Amino acid sequence: MLLPVLLLLAVLSLFPFFYIIWMSLNTVSLINGISFDFAGLTNWTRMFTDVIVGAAWARAALYFVATVGLEMILGVAIALLIHELVWGKNLALSLILLPMFMAPVIVGLLGRFLTDSSYGLYAFALRELGIFEKDILGTSSSALAAVILMDVWEWTPLIVLIVLAGLASVNQYVIEAAKVDGANYLERLRHIVAPSIAGVVIVALLVRSMDAIRYFDIITVTTNGGPGNTTKIIPIRLYETAFRFFDLGYAAAIGLGMLVFSILVANAFVRILESRGLAK
Amino acid sequence: MTGAGLAGASLLGAAGCGGGSASSVSSGGDMWKQFAGTTLNFVSENTSPTTAIAANLNPFKELTGIDVNVLQLELSALVQKVALDIGSGEGAYQVVYADPYQIMAPYHEALADLNEFNADENLPSIPKGTDDFIPTQLAAAGRFENEENLYALPYDCPTMIWMYRKDLFDKHGEKMSQDLGFDPTPSPELTWEQYYQIANWFNENQDEVPYGTGHQARQYDSLMCDFSNILWSYGGDYFHEPKVGSLGTAEPGPCTLDEQEALEAAEFYKKLLSIAHPGSVSWDWNATDEAFRTGQIAMTPNWHEFAAVDQDPAESTIVGKIGYSPLPKGPVRNANMWGGTGVGINGASPINEQKAAWLFLVWATSPETMLMGMKSDVGGGTPTRGSLYELPEVKKAMEPPSNMPNLLTYDAVSEAWRPENIGLRPKIQSWNECDTALYTEVSKMLAGLKSPEEAMTTAKQYFDDAQTRVENLAARPWGVA
Repeated sequence: MLLPVLLLLAVLSLFPFFYIIWMSLNTVSLINGISFDFAGLTNWTRMFTDVIVGAAWARAALYFVATVGLEMILGVAIALLIHELVWGKNLALSLILLPMFMAPVIVGLLGRFLTDSSYGLYAFALRELGIFEKDILGTSSSALAAVILMDVWEWTPLIVLIVLAGLASVNQYVIEAAKVDGANYLERLRHIVAPSIAGVVIVALLVRSMDAIRYFDIITVTTNGGPGNTTKIIPIRLYETAFRFFDLGYAAAIGLGMLVFSILVANAFVRILESRGLAK
Repeated sequence: MTGAGLAGASLLGAAGCGGGSASSVSSGGDMWKQFAGTTLNFVSENTSPTTAIAANLNPFKELTGIDVNVLQLELSALVQKVALDIGSGEGAYQVVYADPYQIMAPYHEALADLNEFNADENLPSIPKGTDDFIPTQLAAAGRFENEENLYALPYDCPTMIWMYRKDLFDKHGEKMSQDLGFDPTPSPELTWEQYYQIANWFNENQDEVPYGTGHQARQYDSLMCDFSNILWSYGGDYFHEPKVGSLGTAEPGPCTLDEQEALEAAEFYKKLLSIAHPGSVSWDWNATDEAFRTGQIAMTPNWHEFAAVDQDPAESTIVGKIGYSPLPKGPVRNANMWGGTGVGINGASPINEQKAAWLFLVWATSPETMLMGMKSDVGGGTPTRGSLYELPEVKKAMEPPSNMPNLLTYDAVSEAWRPENIGLRPKIQSWNECDTALYTEVSKMLAGLKSPEEAMTTAKQYFDDAQTRVENLAARPWGVA
């Protein structure tokens, strides 16, 4: 009975998965039809000794920590503020959620427009205030920060939404009881709210982490990995290797490396959830 | 004269008469109709010649009964599409915009040899023969490694020249001349060092434009193009192999970017960019031209085919104020990057579709279709055929006011196309990887992350590594399909 479904599943996911593993063990040529030449672990050893790939992983880690960290801090803070609003809550939430509904490539184009050194509003403001006079996306010190902030702008609303859902489930009787007992806001936040929403915050962290590892669109549209590779994180290098150099065997190895990293991160979060008894 | 010759004469005659309608070529007879009912897929970069052809396919349909679907893509997307189609072995895109560096060099084995179609008595031959194509362009866009095989017919020919605000040079020329001690009027006799001084003068002495010069120096293919002009003019090059730029080669030898001339070029390029519009480091070619035509810069090394949009009142604030010259010279020579491309036929397509594709190639690169393209309201390129530049209406359009604005650049580009002035990047199979290494390292240099010497030395290393990998790949026995 389950056989057709299992076969479909195998076609859709297992076959491509094993095919990519096989590709990573071969040198692949596209001329006159795709062809393979077994290369053993050559692509894998190359990946672990490739300076450019290593640097791309290091930048990806920095990017990962910065985007997910900022999104979590801002997302939780904004959610707490909205949760406390007495009136206009729906309007505020609607406005805050807007960036999330834009395609990342549009966010990139918008960011490029706003930071353009000739007519960009942000570039103009920073220049007039004497804060920054160089080209924002063309300067190594500012380009990574700019693309991080674009991602934060787009995806912080998702954290807000998830945390607000968690806040809605906090037991109001307990909050009221704490107030009666004289607990101030920070004490209530620390001892009642935080433990109550910890589960959804970790889920939000998991969702954003999985996305951050695959961050691609905004960087491609804004900096293409530049200047001087300062925004070239691992997905950009993977794309370049696969679809610019057509070094498909090596690209398969890099892609599988990203998959392993994603699985490790996801497992770490699931373990945390399990340890808190939230993973049932 | 063969039937093919008759068809060719018909095409030629139509052009020679000053642009008869495309239907006039139908006198070639049944050989044009033998594949009626076929549908061809033409995959191309989104360039103005293809836009013009896509907007005017009816004459070809009437002539042949063949339908053509035109898919226009950004260059990197085009390369992906073609490579994956070649890899699939399907030949779904019968007509391919065969970029000489990113498609022809690595995949020439997958393209059909056009000599076979040109010699086939049952098919029309190339009007006026291959000799009508500008020789440097035929070699660079059509061939790989040898003079025998022909993989593509020259189709477009964007070339980098010096575009400048003529109104500003007219206004400030005398003062500039006094201050700088030389006549600043752009010409190939001026040096890059003088270009730098002119740019700096604009930065410091006027307020009509924010900066003197702007460059396409984003970490992208455009940066390689911009830098290469200076590299070559300083006597540097990517390889010593003499035919690496024209015919191309599978074995270019060791990269020469670490030689003294290349280092001097890199040092100068860094100096030049230090006074350029700060946006230069995030501009590709489109953004650079946009800055030029919206009055952000007084001059720029620019692709000549932007002349059409720069002279369009709907797009530009500097219509009628632009001058054109070949790029400045360096200590060794004048070099102007050529970025042309040919159209080829996918060798994996069924043979009848390949023959139908040949009809399209002959038509698309015929004198009259090129003339139609130049007059097109939606763009149009610049002919790759020498004979077209002799037509009276084309000569007339070389002077303003012109209904074919790209031709306003003719004096500059014809000088740039001379064999001693043309700049041809390496046509090698590892070019995509080498190109990426070069513009990444130059970008690092501009960002202050590396010295010119470190950047050039590292780029050389990457070039050699990439070429070694490709040569090893070519030596492998290919198996399982």
